[in-house]
Amino acid sequence: MSKFLKGISGIFIFILLWELFISSGLIYFEYLPPPTKIINSWLILLAKKQYWLEIFHTLFAATLGWSIASMLGICLGIMLGVSKKIRALFLTTIEILRPLPGVAFAPVGLLLFGFSLSMELTVICLPTLWPILINTMFGISNLSNKLDEVVETLHLSPSEAILKVYFPAAATSILVGLRISLSLAIVMAVVAEMIGNPEGLGYAIIREQQAMNPTNMFAYIITVGLIGALINYLLSTIARIILPGQFLRKDVFQAI
Amino acid sequence: MKFKLINISFLIGIAPLVILLFLWEFFSAGPSPHFPAPSYWYLAIHQIFNNGQLFNSLWETIWTFIAGLLISTILGIFLGVLIGINQVVKDWSLFLLEFFRALPPPVIIPIAILLMGYSSSMKITVIAIATLWPILLNVITGVSQVGAGLIDSAKSLQLSRKDMLLKVLFPAILPSCILGIRVAIPLGIVITLLIEMLTGMVGLGGIMIAGQRNYNSAQVFGILVIVGIVGLIINLLSVLFEKSLLKNWPPKKR
Repeated sequence: MSKFLKGISGIFIFILLWELFISSGLIYFEYLPPPTKIINSWLILLAKKQYWLEIFHTLFAATLGWSIASMLGICLGIMLGVSKKIRALFLTTIEILRPLPGVAFAPVGLLLFGFSLSMELTVICLPTLWPILINTMFGISNLSNKLDEVVETLHLSPSEAILKVYFPAAATSILVGLRISLSLAIVMAVVAEMIGNPEGLGYAIIREQQAMNPTNMFAYIITVGLIGALINYLLSTIARIILPGQFLRKDVFQAI
Repeated sequence: MKFKLINISFLIGIAPLVILLFLWEFFSAGPSPHFPAPSYWYLAIHQIFNNGQLFNSLWETIWTFIAGLLISTILGIFLGVLIGINQVVKDWSLFLLEFFRALPPPVIIPIAILLMGYSSSMKITVIAIATLWPILLNVITGVSQVGAGLIDSAKSLQLSRKDMLLKVLFPAILPSCILGIRVAIPLGIVITLLIEMLTGMVGLGGIMIAGQRNYNSAQVFGILVIVGIVGLIINLLSVLFEKSLLKNWPPKKR
């Protein structure tokens, strides 16, 4: 039996056990429905337009926030990577600000923007900025000194040097940062929707929980998990195509 | 020698932050609902420090975080070794683990609230489950990367099962355990704060969201600083702990 089949059957066994334990009454929680009921209400959800709009909102907010963070992170990262002086000036500050947990900015975002998309973008951008910034910065600052000499001998202007030498040389490292950030952005979008912005999948999960409607809640949670798994798969496939032979860590949701 | 951090370059490095805070203080118009001056942060923190709320919340956040992390570490190492040494279990649970890893940890919170209600044990369970994955997956990888040569030499020494686990396998997977725990720590802090924010339970996240609800922006910013400091201290402690555990790693060749 191939690895794929074994993996799939593993999931089915898990679902089967869950079903058996719940319907036989061996395990009883008031709000833990059996998988058949979850799948049932999931099928109903699939036919609803609102469900797809909620998925779209979460993905839209995550990509928008990620794009803003990418632009900021790459620009700042290049600045910090190219100039040793700027790096010496800001590195400690960055190291102090970086470990601040992303959720801690949710109340700040709520204060500043209320329950809105801007609040969600704040919560997404701040934590996703760091992997991109750090990877760009170290991607450039770790390049060999020979590149500096190349820039000098060719008399390149600073903009040419960045665009034609440093940026391409650090592309691998930047891509790794972008990839970690994208998965993180989706998690942070869900978190922001759970706390603040009443739209999208995160809000849907909380709404169904507060309505004591566990079957819908589980359906939404499985949706989030499937989206996460799909994006992980797509990203690692893309990374393998763009950067063949690079060792890339698979786990990305662990980086909050 | 060890604490060479505090020197000129550190002072230069921290200067932008200090200058920013000074400018903020200088240019802000006092107790603003959006950007209160740093001196008001201090006043707000002083107030909750005096009525004991700060210490209570800090304690609640830290102990639940540590309890959750301890449980997930023990469970992660135990299950990781169990799954890692068993090829059959590993193959069959591959996709299942993949799915759970792809599930953003925060979505465990509503499930736990429905199943367990608002309690400290719910909080600790969520922290433990969320931090379990990085540890578990790293241990599984660690176990499968233990060289066949190592196992064979242990077998040829006719070690008992117990010695095999304690003297060969465990030291060999120690670095990957530590890697997993290192990933788990910031994740655990995030989850702890998030539970407190969502449920309004006692803790730093709880008083932060309460501050936001009362438009007490100074309190929110003040606690943000405290969260940052707590995070830094926990990171520093984990680095020290890591170094003391791994002081003989990688083994020196003689």
